[in-house]
Amino acid sequence: MSWLSLLILIPFATALAVVATPDSKWYARRWIALVGTGIVLALSLVMSVDYMQAVQERGNINSLATISQMEYEQSVPWFASMGIDYHIGVDGIAMAMIVLTAIIIFTGVLASWEVKDRSREFYAFLLVLVTGVFGVFISVDLFLFFVFYEVAVLPMYLLIGVWGTGRKEYSAMKLTLMLMVGSAFVLVGILALYHAAGSQTFDLNKLATVDYSKDLQQWVFPCVFVGFGVLGALFPFHTWSPDGHASAPTAVSMLHAGVLMKLGGYGVLRVAVYLMPDGAKEWALFFLILTTINIVYGAYAAIKQTDLKYFTAYSSVSHCGFVLFGICSLNLMGFKGAVIQMFSHGIMTGLFFGLIGMVYGRSKTRDLTKMGGLSKRIPWLAVCFYIGGLASLGLPGLSGFVAESTVFLGGFFGNAWIDPSTMRICTLLATSSIVVTAVYVLRGLSRVFQGEITNPEFEKLQDAKLPEKLCTAILVASLVIVGMYPPVLIDLIEHAIVPIANRF
Amino acid sequence: MDPMYIQPELIVIITAFAVLGMEIFLPSRHRIMQTPIALLGLASSLAAVIHLMMQGDGDFLNGQFRFDAVAGWFKISFLLAGFLTVLLSADLLNGRYKSIAGQDRTLIHRGEFYTVILFNLAGSMFLISATNLINLYVCLELATIPLFLLVAWRRHDPLSIEAGLKYIILGATSSGALLFGIGLLYGLSGSVDLFAIGDHLEFGPATRLAIALIVVGVGFKLTLVPFHMWAADVYRGAPLPVAAYLSVASKAAGLAFMFQLFYRVLGNVLLDVGLALAVLAAVTMTLGNVVAVVQSNIKRFMAFSAISQAGYLIMGFLGRDGAPSMVYYMLVYVVTNMVVFGVIVFYMNETGREEIEDYRGLARTNPLISLAMMLGLFSLAGIPPLSGFVGKFFLFSVASKAGFHWLVVVAAVNSTISLYYYLRIVRQMYIEPGVEGDTAIRPSGSIVTAIAIATVLMIVLGIVPFFYETIYQQSHNWIASSH
Repeated sequence: MSWLSLLILIPFATALAVVATPDSKWYARRWIALVGTGIVLALSLVMSVDYMQAVQERGNINSLATISQMEYEQSVPWFASMGIDYHIGVDGIAMAMIVLTAIIIFTGVLASWEVKDRSREFYAFLLVLVTGVFGVFISVDLFLFFVFYEVAVLPMYLLIGVWGTGRKEYSAMKLTLMLMVGSAFVLVGILALYHAAGSQTFDLNKLATVDYSKDLQQWVFPCVFVGFGVLGALFPFHTWSPDGHASAPTAVSMLHAGVLMKLGGYGVLRVAVYLMPDGAKEWALFFLILTTINIVYGAYAAIKQTDLKYFTAYSSVSHCGFVLFGICSLNLMGFKGAVIQMFSHGIMTGLFFGLIGMVYGRSKTRDLTKMGGLSKRIPWLAVCFYIGGLASLGLPGLSGFVAESTVFLGGFFGNAWIDPSTMRICTLLATSSIVVTAVYVLRGLSRVFQGEITNPEFEKLQDAKLPEKLCTAILVASLVIVGMYPPVLIDLIEHAIVPIANRF
Repeated sequence: MDPMYIQPELIVIITAFAVLGMEIFLPSRHRIMQTPIALLGLASSLAAVIHLMMQGDGDFLNGQFRFDAVAGWFKISFLLAGFLTVLLSADLLNGRYKSIAGQDRTLIHRGEFYTVILFNLAGSMFLISATNLINLYVCLELATIPLFLLVAWRRHDPLSIEAGLKYIILGATSSGALLFGIGLLYGLSGSVDLFAIGDHLEFGPATRLAIALIVVGVGFKLTLVPFHMWAADVYRGAPLPVAAYLSVASKAAGLAFMFQLFYRVLGNVLLDVGLALAVLAAVTMTLGNVVAVVQSNIKRFMAFSAISQAGYLIMGFLGRDGAPSMVYYMLVYVVTNMVVFGVIVFYMNETGREEIEDYRGLARTNPLISLAMMLGLFSLAGIPPLSGFVGKFFLFSVASKAGFHWLVVVAAVNSTISLYYYLRIVRQMYIEPGVEGDTAIRPSGSIVTAIAIATVLMIVLGIVPFFYETIYQQSHNWIASSH
């Protein structure tokens, strides 16, 4: 058995253990969840180191390869008559995403240390959701991929609906339905590709060896791109995201903005762009313009927000736009930037939502206008918030800078299928969003943390407790490590990106 | 002639008479024994079917009927539906229910109730084995008329009577259309033998008319739009276990009939009517789904959900290789619907509540039952890794392969709409606060058994590939042998 299966077995087993814990011992559940996710985190780190060694031993990858080389592969026939296998394996992109997921869920459990209300269901759903996310990243078979994809999306409904705040039922339903419509289009695309390839296999890498007709790619590509794009907050299908994030409980926001939205970018890169290069060339301009709007619109919308969660959610829309923007530039640099941005934004936004949850738990308000001077009482949280904010506006030394500069370089290099001047105008517009980001991040943070304490209630606030310190420290450390020494991430993903870029 | 292939039907019929005899000769306090006898009969019939499937194909009653793998799978679906219905109806027969407004909801005449169900099952089982048109029609009637009785079983309840009357009038009309279509087929081909008709049949206007009339007749059983009108009222008026039985057994019988005619007789012309079938499927699933959204009564809600499921089901007729997907989905649908109906029956019996918003807070009082209900609803909505998803995926794949990409889009978007209304119930159970004073309800043993069996089957069917793979292998041989 491949080690990879453990990545889905452990979270699922942990979920079962949580369910089996009697109600009188509710506090044991968080420890079970913490230990389970801790093991997964350790496993994912060990595996990524091991993966790096395997890649180095193999030496220089064939620079003309167009098929991703998978590691830890395992394939067991499932519905054999349809060509469906339990086929798992990872390449560098998947490995990076697995590490990201493991970090976010581990810190997410720490951030939801105080959940007591129906904790059995809460941790169980959270862990099932993570099982789905890991499943997506280790799947090579598209059927399996799709199965896990939906498993990852659906528990969100209950997690937001039960433990959320504000208009939670509305947000939960909106989010679920929009994502499910997206996945319906993905399903149509997957089936069309499967039958066009001779109805023999759902294996991603085997499907990638087929030349699909231009006519087919012409309509399947936008289907799949938009289908995944909904989850990646592609404009104008991003509207679920602010409501959903604002209503979700802390750990769920972290997981959702940090990891789930990355599934969208991952799917676009892995399925749409990888399998249908001709379709991508045809549609690149159209989606490039949409993603540019994404970036700029998200940033401007964030300025206007007064609720901390909406503020971060719109900033996520803007930052997720970078992921899709990088992909639309259809070159090695762009893809690389997109993947780095996925990782970097995942950590950054996880940190943001974690911190917002902690601040909200203390101040009982998320309204920017009612806050002020909090850094005097909760310095730890304030400092972490500032580091996250600086990463978000692309300060060198933190991961956001690495990601965004790579994406912009990719944009400037452009490609043969989009008029260079259009490409550069779009890139310029996207770059300008950095300035807007700086405006809203600095203004927002200064309102919350600086100045005089506006509300006498805030005098009594306590700074971060141990689980919270641990949670934020891990996330900040990840931001700094990737920012200071990017090769740690770039070496991991490079070999996986070259084959995709070679298709163009 | 090999007599052993009639075993399953024979067991069912003998059981029916045994139960009827007990009704006549036993004093009423011993009649409670009828339930285990009926269950035993159904279980042994099921065992006989499985045993025969391992033996291979064979004819019985002088070649009038034929047992083959696909027939075997259909019989398994029928028997499962019957078995679970018997379990679900036990509480009402025993008088265990909460009376609302002094209404008597006991199901009377235990023995007759079982006998009628068993006869109905025998009809369905013969139906999928029939090899000529006349038997086929007679069996379909046997699989229909007992249902009229069952729907109107509570003969003092105006709703039940109304439902029965509606059902019988529309049912008789559709039978007429069906008979007309079958007559045309006979006239066009000069044969009643299902295997021979196809060879003599040419595709012309008359054949089209015959197909159209048959679709009208079967459409009634399968609740295809626009022949679905009866469903909501009949489900609402019928005793709940009967509604559960109706939603699966009647549909399976209709599908069996369509299988016999479409694959055996019309196999060669099937693709010519593909577009019409695709439109029918699209209209059926869309209307079923859209109307289900606004329902507030859970029985009517399930009726419209069942209508939309029929729309997905007939997507399988779009390609010659759709047979395994349909047989598989039928099986999945039977167990999944029984999970959901099991919970509905349980809740109705114990609390007398049948509105969707009455389910609020159920997850707090009865977490396990709510979990089963949620999984059942998700399976109906096609959420992986439950079997409902796998079944739908294979059906969609048939349509996609036949080039009906637009239908796949319609169907997939419809799944999302259906998710919306299934989530409405999940929301009531999990999110809404419960009714003041509600405490955990202890379900009866029979209900728990039914829900547990159905839930386990529902999960296993989707994860263990054995079932689909076996169906696939066997139905491939079946299609090859039938044409």
